[in-house]
Amino acid sequence: MALSSNGIDFHTHPLLVREMIARHPELAKAARQTFYIGNNFQPQETLHLELDVAGLGHAVVLPIDATTALGTTVYTNEQIAELCAMSSRLIGFASVDPRQPGAPEKLEAAVKKLGLRGLKLAPAMQRFWPDDPSAFELYDRASQLGIPILFHAGMSWEPGSRLEYGQPLRFEKVAAEFPKLNIVLAHLAWPWVTEAVAMALKYPNVCLDTSALYFDNPEDFLRYAMTHVVPLSVFERSLRKQIVFGSNYPRVEIKNMARAVRALGFSEECLELIMHGNAQRLLGAGK
Amino acid sequence: MIFKLERIEVQSRKDMEMINITPQVERVTAESGVRNGLVLVMTTHTSSGLLVTEGIECLERDVLAHLERLAPKNPPPGTYGYWHNRYLDFDGRLGFNAGDHLKSILSGVNCFFPIENGKIVRGSRQCVYFVEYDGPLARTVVVQVIGES
Repeated sequence: MALSSNGIDFHTHPLLVREMIARHPELAKAARQTFYIGNNFQPQETLHLELDVAGLGHAVVLPIDATTALGTTVYTNEQIAELCAMSSRLIGFASVDPRQPGAPEKLEAAVKKLGLRGLKLAPAMQRFWPDDPSAFELYDRASQLGIPILFHAGMSWEPGSRLEYGQPLRFEKVAAEFPKLNIVLAHLAWPWVTEAVAMALKYPNVCLDTSALYFDNPEDFLRYAMTHVVPLSVFERSLRKQIVFGSNYPRVEIKNMARAVRALGFSEECLELIMHGNAQRLLGAGK
Repeated sequence: MIFKLERIEVQSRKDMEMINITPQVERVTAESGVRNGLVLVMTTHTSSGLLVTEGIECLERDVLAHLERLAPKNPPPGTYGYWHNRYLDFDGRLGFNAGDHLKSILSGVNCFFPIENGKIVRGSRQCVYFVEYDGPLARTVVVQVIGES
């Protein structure tokens, strides 16, 4: 599928989609009791309208397989594929549990049979260390498949999750051992933004997504993280090809995070890369 | 005495938007069988409003623009900040939409009309608006008709 030029949200969780909850009632429990989101459930149209209001064309939709840690999934790969079949604007990622046997094979099936285009891993929720060698076979398979891995990094809101799983340096071995594997550290890995930036500066296969909001509002928070903690010029000059727009919807509305990123003061060229070009490259143009 | 309550779903399509729901309120009233009584209309959301005004596009723009001026989403730098800008653990998200809640308070969340001979009694210019302050979202408006057949 060739992607249009009007922007991609690289980080959304389709937890509110009412049509999917009607088909799979367990998704309501996953939204409330595993992901801890209290928003009202919405028709799928609302997600499309969110993208419209934000001036974006597509959204990556993410599952989380936390079978070992929590005995549940937040969307299965099959459910993500089912959702994507309902909308040409959604780009499905897979999730597998690195602690479950057969994880690499499950990932390969999700990519080759279900058409999913990346891997989502959430070490804090799945309770595994990103640099644990037992996960390396999975990383190797992702590298062979030519898909990116979006890692939750930094702080996690979910009760029971631990911050330490999201420390950026925990991802260094992954970046170093698999130089052809594109990895995205989500949420700017806040509160370790400087360390996350160091990772991206050192490893060209490391990207960061913008889906960071932990206090204040999106504009104030991003200005703090991407201007005061690390100067905006570092992102503009050194990392313009390694930043992707992500909202973390529905914890934050897409419109609000898009407005905040656009207000930071990036050049038009850099904004185009952040909102569109970098994500398209990671996803594989023309696939 | 008849009591009829109906929930209407209103899909807003913009961040802020006024949606004329007069036809839906009239339909519920007509279908209730009430000849003489009251119809109450209420939005169930605290970042939306329910108000009555003239149904013309220029006024819609003015209402939204001036509510935003009075209760901005982002206050001008250096003026004041919202206490609501913090993580709400019961919602699993940050609540940085205090301005939208304030607009809801300013505009109100309900209205009512008398019913006479089966029809809503309203001024010729009066329209019922659902007002979205934090859309797009699918919203619920409750219409309660009370009266005698």
